[in-house]
Amino acid sequence: MKATRRRFLPLLSIALLGTATLWWGSDGFTAFTAEAARRQSVLAEPRPLPMVGLEDQDGRRFTLGDYAGRLLAIEFIYTQCNSICYSLGTTFRQLHDSVPTAALGRDLALLSISFDPQHDGPEQLREYGQRFGADGANWRIARPLAAAELPALLAAFGVVAIPDRLGGFEHNAAIHLVGRDNRLRQISDIDAAAPFVAAIREQL
Amino acid sequence: MAKNTYLPAPDHGAKTGVLAYLLTTAAVLLLMMVAGLLMRLEQAQMISIGANGFYQLMTVHGAGMVGIAGIAGAAIMWHFLNQYAALSVRVLVGNLALFVIGVAMVLGSVFVGNFHGAWTFLFPLPGNSLGLWSREAAAWFMGGMLVIGTGFLLLQLDIARAIIAGYGGFARALGWPQLFGRDDGQAPPPTVVASTMVTIVNLIALVVGASILAMMLVNLYHPEFAIDPLLAKAMIYFFGHVFINATIYMAVIAVYEILPRYTRRPWKSNKVFLASWTCSTLMVMFIFPHHLLMDFGFPKWMLVMGHVIGYLNTVPILAVTGYGALMIVFRSGIRWDMGSRLLFLSMFGWAAGAMPAFIDGTIRVNYVMHNTLWVPGHFHTYLLLGLVSMVFGFMYYLGKPARQARDPFIDRAAFWAYLVGSLGFVLAFLYAGKESVARRYAEHLPQWVPYDRVASYFAVLIIAATLVFVARFIGHLAHAGGHHTRATVPFGAVVA
Amino acid sequence: MKQPRRSGRHALGAGAAYLLLTLPPVRHWLEASMASHMLVQMPLLVALGMVAVRLLPAGRRRRLRNGFGGPLACLTAATFASAYWMLPRALDAAIGEPLAEFAKFVSLPLLVGLPLALAWESFGLIGRGFVWTNLISMQVFLGWLYVAAPLRVCNNYLVDDQLRVGWLLITLAGLLFAGWLGALFRGAPASRTEAPMYKTA
Repeated sequence: MKATRRRFLPLLSIALLGTATLWWGSDGFTAFTAEAARRQSVLAEPRPLPMVGLEDQDGRRFTLGDYAGRLLAIEFIYTQCNSICYSLGTTFRQLHDSVPTAALGRDLALLSISFDPQHDGPEQLREYGQRFGADGANWRIARPLAAAELPALLAAFGVVAIPDRLGGFEHNAAIHLVGRDNRLRQISDIDAAAPFVAAIREQL
Repeated sequence: MAKNTYLPAPDHGAKTGVLAYLLTTAAVLLLMMVAGLLMRLEQAQMISIGANGFYQLMTVHGAGMVGIAGIAGAAIMWHFLNQYAALSVRVLVGNLALFVIGVAMVLGSVFVGNFHGAWTFLFPLPGNSLGLWSREAAAWFMGGMLVIGTGFLLLQLDIARAIIAGYGGFARALGWPQLFGRDDGQAPPPTVVASTMVTIVNLIALVVGASILAMMLVNLYHPEFAIDPLLAKAMIYFFGHVFINATIYMAVIAVYEILPRYTRRPWKSNKVFLASWTCSTLMVMFIFPHHLLMDFGFPKWMLVMGHVIGYLNTVPILAVTGYGALMIVFRSGIRWDMGSRLLFLSMFGWAAGAMPAFIDGTIRVNYVMHNTLWVPGHFHTYLLLGLVSMVFGFMYYLGKPARQARDPFIDRAAFWAYLVGSLGFVLAFLYAGKESVARRYAEHLPQWVPYDRVASYFAVLIIAATLVFVARFIGHLAHAGGHHTRATVPFGAVVA
Repeated sequence: MKQPRRSGRHALGAGAAYLLLTLPPVRHWLEASMASHMLVQMPLLVALGMVAVRLLPAGRRRRLRNGFGGPLACLTAATFASAYWMLPRALDAAIGEPLAEFAKFVSLPLLVGLPLALAWESFGLIGRGFVWTNLISMQVFLGWLYVAAPLRVCNNYLVDDQLRVGWLLITLAGLLFAGWLGALFRGAPASRTEAPMYKTA
């Protein structure tokens, strides 16, 4: 009996400890991937964003802080992309078309940021915008001014872009919603434009 | 003239664990037979339980019978193998405990959760019930299967351990040195050879089964993790087919061990015997595609393999064992009693049951026959007349009070009732199959109903006979543990 | 007298191998692809923990095992620790966050390899077989998860890489199974002399 207890107690505590670790490591068995974790984390705790200098398709310079007081939808792209960014661009187009026109610009702006600033100059950004029908004002295409600031920007959003051995990148594509307080509040799948729009409408 | 010079090893009584297995077998077997009868009565339109109830019964009947065939086969294998290699009683009992837990989970899933997707849990049915049963019900069913599988895995690992300890590896235990080299007459006894074969194929089947069950459980809750349905079907059939085949390879040990005691002739592990078991070890793992011949989506090579090996596998063990049994019995002067009779009948049942499978294993025939009652006809022949006869033969043998004990009239009558009932019952299946009566249908067309009625009467006869068998076994339980000679002495042999 | 010196050399070798694995260039090289990260670096770290156990004297091993709470407790610890590192986000974290990387380098040898080796030596064929068979079916299962996942599970790895790891896991499981069965066919002499976990009847 005593021997059994001596064997059983450590076994039980290890099992409990192990389960607790797994629970902690997966946010209560809900987020098994880094992507799911980042989405849950911003929902629970909106994240402040760095004021990285950006440059848009017309060479205008700005920071995310300039959007304070407005909602901002952000996607991360690179203009040479010919796979997932097509869906991203299309999703953004849908987003653009399905929010009230009056709110556009006043209450809400769209921003596509390139994580490939070496290649994507204003000219490429403009071309990308034209491809998806961005107006260049309410929906701008931008890149970080200094390549050195890119990692901080991506890290804040939790975006990872890795070379795909074909000259392009693989990246965790999503649509990001930044609140009026300049904090990252929500991250959605690129094929979930409708719920994303619903979330925006609620905050307009 | 017959020689009866062989003096078999002394008879060991069964351990309590083995008796617990056999009592569980008797109880579950009877219950499942009643479930089967209810299904036939429903098809015969003599009772009305509805399609839902029919499929619940079919699920329980299938799962229960396959499981109990495993438990009964394991009891026989364990009892005899334990005389050659020291096995663990704890593991034996542990397997039974896990089996009972698994059965409870399955019963809960079916009768509380209304799961009725058949024992084969074929993907994607368990997860796509169209609202007839919940995800939880399907999960409990598959979880129950996992628990039962875990028990058998432990049992097989213990058997592997004992065989390796006693014989130094599977290769030696299968008699490969004697098979591929000079036969020095030192090959392991048939019981060890058979147990080794069963252990090898069951270990593989159980690992495959556990893998597909884990995959299906994830798919159940996260359907976006898609399973290739053909892969799932192949894995499920591999697991299920190997497992149910292994049960008869376990149970046939009763024939190898008991018939020689009645005839005083040894069952030798000669080259032919060893070759047949080695061949079947391989082949039994590759015949499952003969159940998939209609699935044209499968790669052609797989279907051809199923066809060819399905044909080939009928030969080795069955022919060698059937021939061996005939040779052992022929002019031996054997005196028939319930034990020897049932065991001899089982050889006929196994052989006869393989024939419909042989025919159905032909691709052309399979296209028209496979989804008919021909297939239940096949496996009921070989399980009812083959495996179950072996199990009852073993029970009678164990329960025999003394060598000279005579069987009461009612037992002998029950034997013939069982024989006639089983033959009638399976022939009703087979004939209905020939008439293209679809299988797995709760409701039958009016012109099919007569076969169902005939089958129901025969089923009643089987159950009546089984009641006698079981009652006698329970009545003789006190003798089952005793170490005394049970087999009668053949005519013309001198009593030692 | 020869024994301690040899085991001393082995300890040195194991330590050197561990240090080699921690070197940034080696680390980056092995972590560059999911396959080498999961199927080379991490197993090597586990193996080093197991080697460390073999270098300890028998008495220390026994005390260590009892410290964990017996062989089953050891096995449980190894199972949970390895399960944690099977979380795709743990893999991602190990690349991006130094603390997670450090935790990986410490926990894989100490909480997976070490207790596994401690449990292993006190298991008979049943215990070992149970570990093997479960490991193999879990590997097939995990491989399938990676192949069937509708998404890229690690942000740091290409989706092709993930597919390759899935198929490698399945292939590896098949090979391990064949190897294990092969050993049972030959009847490894070690399994005969090992004391079984229970008393035979």
